[in-house]
Amino acid sequence: MPPPSQDWSERSRDLSRLLSRAGLGDRAAFATFYERTSSHLLAVVLRINRDRSQAEDILQEVYVSVWRAAQGFDAAQSQPLTWLTSIARNRAIDSLRRAQTQPQFDSRSHANDEDSDVYDDKADHAPGPLELLSQASDARALGDCMAVLSASQRQSVALAFYDGLSHAEVAEHMRQPLGTVKSWVRRALMSLKTCLERASHSDVSASRS
Amino acid sequence: MDYSRPELADHLAADYVAGTLRGAARRRFEALLPAHPSLQRAVRSWQDWLMPLTLGIAPQTPPPHVWQGIEARIGGAVVQAPLALPFWGRLTFWRGLSALATVAALSLSVLLVNPHPTQPPLVVVLSSAAPTTATATEGPVTASFVASISGDGRAVVTKPLRSVSLEPNRVLELWALPASGAPRSLGLISASGASVVQKNKVQPGTAALAVSLEPTGGSTTGAPTGPVLFVGKLGS
Repeated sequence: MPPPSQDWSERSRDLSRLLSRAGLGDRAAFATFYERTSSHLLAVVLRINRDRSQAEDILQEVYVSVWRAAQGFDAAQSQPLTWLTSIARNRAIDSLRRAQTQPQFDSRSHANDEDSDVYDDKADHAPGPLELLSQASDARALGDCMAVLSASQRQSVALAFYDGLSHAEVAEHMRQPLGTVKSWVRRALMSLKTCLERASHSDVSASRS
Repeated sequence: MDYSRPELADHLAADYVAGTLRGAARRRFEALLPAHPSLQRAVRSWQDWLMPLTLGIAPQTPPPHVWQGIEARIGGAVVQAPLALPFWGRLTFWRGLSALATVAALSLSVLLVNPHPTQPPLVVVLSSAAPTTATATEGPVTASFVASISGDGRAVVTKPLRSVSLEPNRVLELWALPASGAPRSLGLISASGASVVQKNKVQPGTAALAVSLEPTGGSTTGAPTGPVLFVGKLGS
């Protein structure tokens, strides 16, 4: 398993302990686990589904299922924060599918407005997806490696990953053909993988020296 | 499609984890996942790569009701007994509780069809409802019953912390009180020893348990007829 960033690993060690105690029915440990992770998780979910009450519902669903699955959590297989964030993102993405039948929640209908860029300007002046990707790249010193990607390629993957846009929505947002966007996202993902792999190798050798 | 092809597995897993795999394709992929270890490995790798990239998102603290909702759904906290109760420190209480736990474990093992209970039992402390009730009070001890509700609500085990003295033509009846609406009888319980009640299920949404004093045979009206002697709330 590739070692992710150090902060992530450190937080995960404590969380593993809490999770295993929660697996034994320790509610106090689970409450602490919630305290330490819920604000990150809500932020992740809110980027994908911006309806606050839906996001809060998703958060509840996630923690209830985590409580039930805590006993089966295998720290050797994955880190708690990775596991948790994946579950939350999955639920958030699934909630978008359901929301499509409820147009009143579909914030994406604004994407046609000519002069506004809802994804980068809205959401309480939160950083846009591209900015988040740059920050994450800088934090892991991926800058040079990621430089092989064009700005469009980076933006396409950032919109998809951080804001949960589908290929079609990214295409609409960037006013590009669907096929082009699909290959941008794929290319960007593969570069990310290569760069992260390289960065984690240098992390390991740095910690050895 | 041959999902064991590493390159295809890797591409699908990347799309799945990044979130761009949608709709029917996403559901199909999720359905395939449990049976394809190579897909699982690919998904785990992509999760390990991508999830830490979310660390830069500014945290958003959820409002308190989110946790309260979770707590309610995972069986709630052990009921907060009034502060500074002497019985917590008493050996008899812990003896009573461990005996109760044994009975609860035994009854659970008999009752549970599902071999993996999803929720642990919930312990409720029932305190004297009205300190003036002559039969219930004796010195400063206010907690008088401990009840353990199995995770699925199908069984309740009760035990008095000390025997309740009753007139010969009187019995104790256990009730489940919903947040709103009429109480439901769970059955008769012993005033001196442990009882396992499994006639009626404790419904989700039950706010409290209560014990009432009833004529022999229990209430015939479907509602408590005698005074409520002990009450304990479930969760917060």
